[in-house]
Amino acid sequence: MAEFFNTQWPLIGIALSAGLILLAQQWRSTLIGLFFNYLFVAAFLAQPQFIKPDLTLLGVAISTTVLVKLIAGLSAVLILAVTALTFSRDYDADALDEFSLAELRRAARRAQRKQLVAPLRFADFVVPMWALILAAIASFILPRLYPIGSEEVDFAWYWLTLTGIFTIVTANDLLKLGLGLLVCVSSIDLLYTAIASTVQVFPLAMLGLTTIVLSLSVSYLSGLMYGRLKTLELNELYKR
Amino acid sequence: MLYLLIIFFPAAMAAGLFLLRAQIMPSISGGMLAVIVQIALVLQLPVDAPVRLLGLTLTIDPLGRLVMLTILGVALFSYVVTFFIAHGENFVPVSLLILGITNATVLLMQEPFVASLLMVSSGLLAILAIVDLPIGSTVLVERSPLITALHYLVLVLLSGFAMYMAYVLLTIYWPTEQNGQGSPAHLIMALLIVGFGMRLAIFPFQSWLIEVTEYAAPMVTVLIITALNSTGLLFLIATFQFFPVIVSENAHGMQMLMYLGAVTMILAALFGLATPHLRRTPSYLIVANSGLMLFGVASASSTGLAGAIFELFNQMIAVLIIFVSIALLERPDGRPVVTIRRDLLWRWPLAGSGFIGGLLLLLGMPPFSSYTSKLLIYDAAAHASPIFVVLLGIGSLLTLAAIARLLYERLLGAAEELPTEEMPILLATQEIERQSDRRLLSEPVGLTVVLFILLGVCGVIGLYPQILLTMIDDVIRGLTFVRTAS
Repeated sequence: MAEFFNTQWPLIGIALSAGLILLAQQWRSTLIGLFFNYLFVAAFLAQPQFIKPDLTLLGVAISTTVLVKLIAGLSAVLILAVTALTFSRDYDADALDEFSLAELRRAARRAQRKQLVAPLRFADFVVPMWALILAAIASFILPRLYPIGSEEVDFAWYWLTLTGIFTIVTANDLLKLGLGLLVCVSSIDLLYTAIASTVQVFPLAMLGLTTIVLSLSVSYLSGLMYGRLKTLELNELYKR
Repeated sequence: MLYLLIIFFPAAMAAGLFLLRAQIMPSISGGMLAVIVQIALVLQLPVDAPVRLLGLTLTIDPLGRLVMLTILGVALFSYVVTFFIAHGENFVPVSLLILGITNATVLLMQEPFVASLLMVSSGLLAILAIVDLPIGSTVLVERSPLITALHYLVLVLLSGFAMYMAYVLLTIYWPTEQNGQGSPAHLIMALLIVGFGMRLAIFPFQSWLIEVTEYAAPMVTVLIITALNSTGLLFLIATFQFFPVIVSENAHGMQMLMYLGAVTMILAALFGLATPHLRRTPSYLIVANSGLMLFGVASASSTGLAGAIFELFNQMIAVLIIFVSIALLERPDGRPVVTIRRDLLWRWPLAGSGFIGGLLLLLGMPPFSSYTSKLLIYDAAAHASPIFVVLLGIGSLLTLAAIARLLYERLLGAAEELPTEEMPILLATQEIERQSDRRLLSEPVGLTVVLFILLGVCGVIGLYPQILLTMIDDVIRGLTFVRTAS
């Protein structure tokens, strides 16, 4: 058992951090989950059977490819963290007409009221919990039915894909939906790097760029939505 | 150098014009200049002369060049339109960025990993255009564009995910029953259907296109359909070309794709018939047309493919004409916003005529060029199975019915009489109680003349289709998957 933990700790880390993203409701927890997810994915791919180290940084041998992935992932986390901290794209009150100003005030009051009357409930975790169980069962079965790489690689990418998709499906706010999309991108990144016979630099660079552009898009939409509705909750967006 | 300029010049211009975005004239003029320079650069590109750059192969064939030139032509015309019609503050810089990425996608078709990610990036940029507000707007961004952008974001990402996964599987592809394992060809086909289905708005993934056409600015819709969706179809053809094994190992899959195209055509036309709406009906008809093009590509026959490629150009021009006409038809005419307008042809005769012409072009009415392309696809259907001819025939009839209903409900209704003289101000009447003036703005004649010239060009190409078909046939002769299947 101890040996399993010693050798497979990046895989366990990937499983736990992606599970945290799916389960947690608060943006602080989910962003921490994403941060650790990128760290563990990098640690998983840094294993010698996938990519050989070609760089020594602060006494640690690491591959440039893994380092680039880590930087792209952490940039995405940073962009979303800054968005979550600052949120709103404030409108210039002088530029808005009276109807828009009234609507802004109404949205702010509604959001404030909602914060007061709706504390965190256990019921909010039921669906994500079942989704997590379903993802776990599927991640153990699918690698046996449709094997693509080694057992560890298959578990890791199936797990990331499924938790990413379930996060998108069960997300109740825009930021979490964005995190689900980022986890999906991370899963194809992991699969490509782990199974491609020769890892090409440009597709990996493009994947890094896509990760950053995606987090910027989510950040921009979050800013717009918060500025308009004073909340990131998707059910407020769909209210007529 | 030329390749790099084509990719990065629009990005550099976009950065400059972003700073000038609040100034309408310099911003649009700069955008037009950038597109004209791009057209000149594309014309200089050597055809079928691959270049290696940073380990990537950049190349362009005559078809890719013609698609690029058509997209740039559409973009140029869209910028002209924005002189007359309100547009988003960031429309010019965002559209230039999208054009740069689209150019890169066409040039990098031989690198499927990179091309699929470039398509995701261009889709992400389109989101900025969808939620864009006009310059100096005094209102908040509406919920509907936000919802549309959100749906588009998720679909673009999932589409890119499915495509990328298919290409990853293709890199480790093994033939049927090797090592006791079944080939992943079926899984690859399924992923490609989902990926390209979302991108091309094929049933059941069509909802995003309907939302985009309804809630985004008309020129944004034109950009998304012409630049992004057209590149998607070109990329699907390139995928079959570079991986002919997908076609050869998936005879049933290709047939399923043909059924999917035919069903998309019928259902979309049916939805269009059920909802006579100025924006929604044309968008359903575009989905129906995409289904028809998918059918042509999936038939993997020379006539079907020639028809699909020919139809791609027709659709780009039809979409431009239809949405420019919609933008002109939607201009305020003094009536309250909630009024359902049923006499648009009499109100705006030039724009109304352009709209009807665009719809007929989309339908494939002779003598327009789309008649020839549809005939080619029907020929491919007849060679495949009579059932397909019946299905496509039903789709075309429903499309015709949807157009007829839309015209009857929105354009050809009895004209309301306009007040002939100003009402005298009665005693104790307040300013707020006075009816707004029902003055009609004059139609931009220059713009509508260009619309009719475009329709005329389609008519001439319809009468002399060999102008385009010779080039398309040359391209098809080099496609290996067509030989495999026919």
